[in-house]
Amino acid sequence: MEALYEQNQTDVNEAKADGRAELIPSIKLRHCCLLRNQRCLTAYLYDRLLRIRALRWEYGSVLPANVRFHMCAEEVQWFTHYKKSLASFMRSLGGGEGLDITQDMKPPKSLYIEVRCLKDHGEFEIDDGTVILLKKNSQHFLPRWKCEQLIRQGVLEHVMS
Amino acid sequence: MFITDIRKEFYEVVANQRVALLVASDIDALCACKILQALFHCDQVQYTLVPVTGWQDLGTAFLEHKEQFQYFVLINCGANVDLLEMLQPDDDSVFFICDTHRPVDVVNVYNDTQIKLLIKQEDDLGVPSYDDIFRDEDDEEGGDSGNESEDGSEPSGKRRRFDEGAVERRIDRQRAKREWEARRREILFEYEQYEYHGTSAAVMLFELAWVLTKDTKDMLWWAIIGLTDQWVHDKITHMKYVTDIATMQRHVSRHNHRNEDEENSLSIDCMRISFEYDLRLTLYQHWSLYESICNSCYTTCIFKLWTLNGQKKLQEFLADMGLPLKQVRQKFNSMDMSIKENLKDVIEESSNKYGMKDIRIQTFGVHFGFKNRFLAIDMVHATAALLESTEKDESNSDNFIKALDSLSRGNLDRLHSGIDLAKKKLIAIQQTVASCICTNLILSQGPFLYCYLMEGTPDVKLFSRPMALTLLCKYLLKAFVHSARNKRCKLLPLIMAAPKDVEKGTVIVVGIPPESETSDKKNFFGRAFEKASESTSSRTLHDNFDTSIIELKTEDRSKFLDALITLLS
Repeated sequence: MEALYEQNQTDVNEAKADGRAELIPSIKLRHCCLLRNQRCLTAYLYDRLLRIRALRWEYGSVLPANVRFHMCAEEVQWFTHYKKSLASFMRSLGGGEGLDITQDMKPPKSLYIEVRCLKDHGEFEIDDGTVILLKKNSQHFLPRWKCEQLIRQGVLEHVMS
Repeated sequence: MFITDIRKEFYEVVANQRVALLVASDIDALCACKILQALFHCDQVQYTLVPVTGWQDLGTAFLEHKEQFQYFVLINCGANVDLLEMLQPDDDSVFFICDTHRPVDVVNVYNDTQIKLLIKQEDDLGVPSYDDIFRDEDDEEGGDSGNESEDGSEPSGKRRRFDEGAVERRIDRQRAKREWEARRREILFEYEQYEYHGTSAAVMLFELAWVLTKDTKDMLWWAIIGLTDQWVHDKITHMKYVTDIATMQRHVSRHNHRNEDEENSLSIDCMRISFEYDLRLTLYQHWSLYESICNSCYTTCIFKLWTLNGQKKLQEFLADMGLPLKQVRQKFNSMDMSIKENLKDVIEESSNKYGMKDIRIQTFGVHFGFKNRFLAIDMVHATAALLESTEKDESNSDNFIKALDSLSRGNLDRLHSGIDLAKKKLIAIQQTVASCICTNLILSQGPFLYCYLMEGTPDVKLFSRPMALTLLCKYLLKAFVHSARNKRCKLLPLIMAAPKDVEKGTVIVVGIPPESETSDKKNFFGRAFEKASESTSSRTLHDNFDTSIIELKTEDRSKFLDALITLLS
């Protein structure tokens, strides 16, 4: 884009100084190219923004290190702002008590669900302090809210019988 | 110790706790596991399910989970070995064992705190009484030291007399102790000599569900599959099978009485279980009748279908029944309705003429939706094929999960893929049996028959799995008994070996008891293998829960066999 811009600049100066009207169409063409490239870039950046927003819903408020590695500083800042506005919105729901709307994306049918472990994930702690060893192909019957994160990440699979 | 009230002593104890389920890899265990899972879902008992394939697996699983769980439920594993010595658990771990393997180890029976056996005591167990095996050592030593202190305090004159008396008493005591120990060894040897199976674990857990009045038709169907698995894999006697079928029949009629109400009849999608006195032709409703007759053990052995004569007799049989070959060779579902209607009776009549008196067997069938009809025998074969499938990149636990899934009604495509695998397995078994008999691969070694599957045999990979190899073994023995002329050979047991792992150079060895009408299915090969392996120091792995199935290094095969021959003759 810079190259196009430089060329346009020289041509415009030339046109103004020498009065060469035949350079004007090429200037217009380069200008249109520049505008198009700008549109593409903004579309790309906007799409990245939407994905980063989806990350908050998928991973929770702490992003894993390998994801953060691919984000630039401004995007991280945007993410923090989004996190803050989502948190203040959630706090304001439910009559001042707050409601975590990132849980229960689908209406829940039961308190406990049966999940199957798809890959070795090591130890996993649930609310009452007990630790469960998540080994490949073991099945567990656990409280639904603890499993949702892991199901979204693909470590566990909900088994419907 | 044995549990008398399964609801109070097992279910109510674990209802508020987190439980680890360690499940063995056979169909009965899978069915029992499904029933228990359904009960736990009802009552929201948190559990973790871990499949185990052998003693090593069991040990690893226990070590991994012993920090997190206090209650362990073992299904179809753990009863026939001293569990506490093997696993070395902490004092607060409690094990609930629901296992069909007998004899139950005496330590497991007499331990009051940590081991609870979910086994019916009416099951002909024959456990030796406590005093015959265990003896409190303290009484004896107290007696000895008491006498010696007495001796010390007496003056020397009397001491000699007392000494003699004390020495005599001590000699008597020692002799009594030696006699007691000899008798103990004898009793234990007799008790642990033969290995056999008891009531199905699935039926036990279904009865638990019934006592809790939480039983459903799904659970009843799983219990029936568990029981049928014991019959298909020849683990229980025919008498016991018939008795257990009668028990299940009572439950089936109890669940079925709703169907007969004309006004509120059930929708066609609901599950209906019915008692069937059906043909012993494996998978015939999902195959063609001809294929099924050619690949079922019962018909193949009686017709001797590996001979030309046998093939002719089969053609005669079909002609006798008036079934055109074209009809018989197409898929069963597409056969003419007029033929299908009276098929069972027609076949029974004709088979009586050809010497097949027991072509029909009592079993159950399930029916849900318009297309889905399955017999319990079909389900057992399908699930067994899935459980032991030898596709690459599939570990034992992957197969376990697939087989477990196929038992649910919602996973019909799994079940159908299982049926396809089962058909391939049956065809492979029949071909192997035919080739073994025709090439005389079965050798009589004196006290037993022996057959070795060479590495290049087609489908030999299928037979590296214990259940498939056991099935092949039983079919082969039946076929051999029908084709052998020598009367003495017919009463011999059979040992079969097949390559298990080509890289490690091991073979899997299976031993089954002799074939007879009134066989009590008691297998002595477990102990025999152990002794032979010790005496020749062969490198064996007794990892399977059935002690009659072991893994052996290929090089040690001949000396192992020689030791067995000397041991058993």
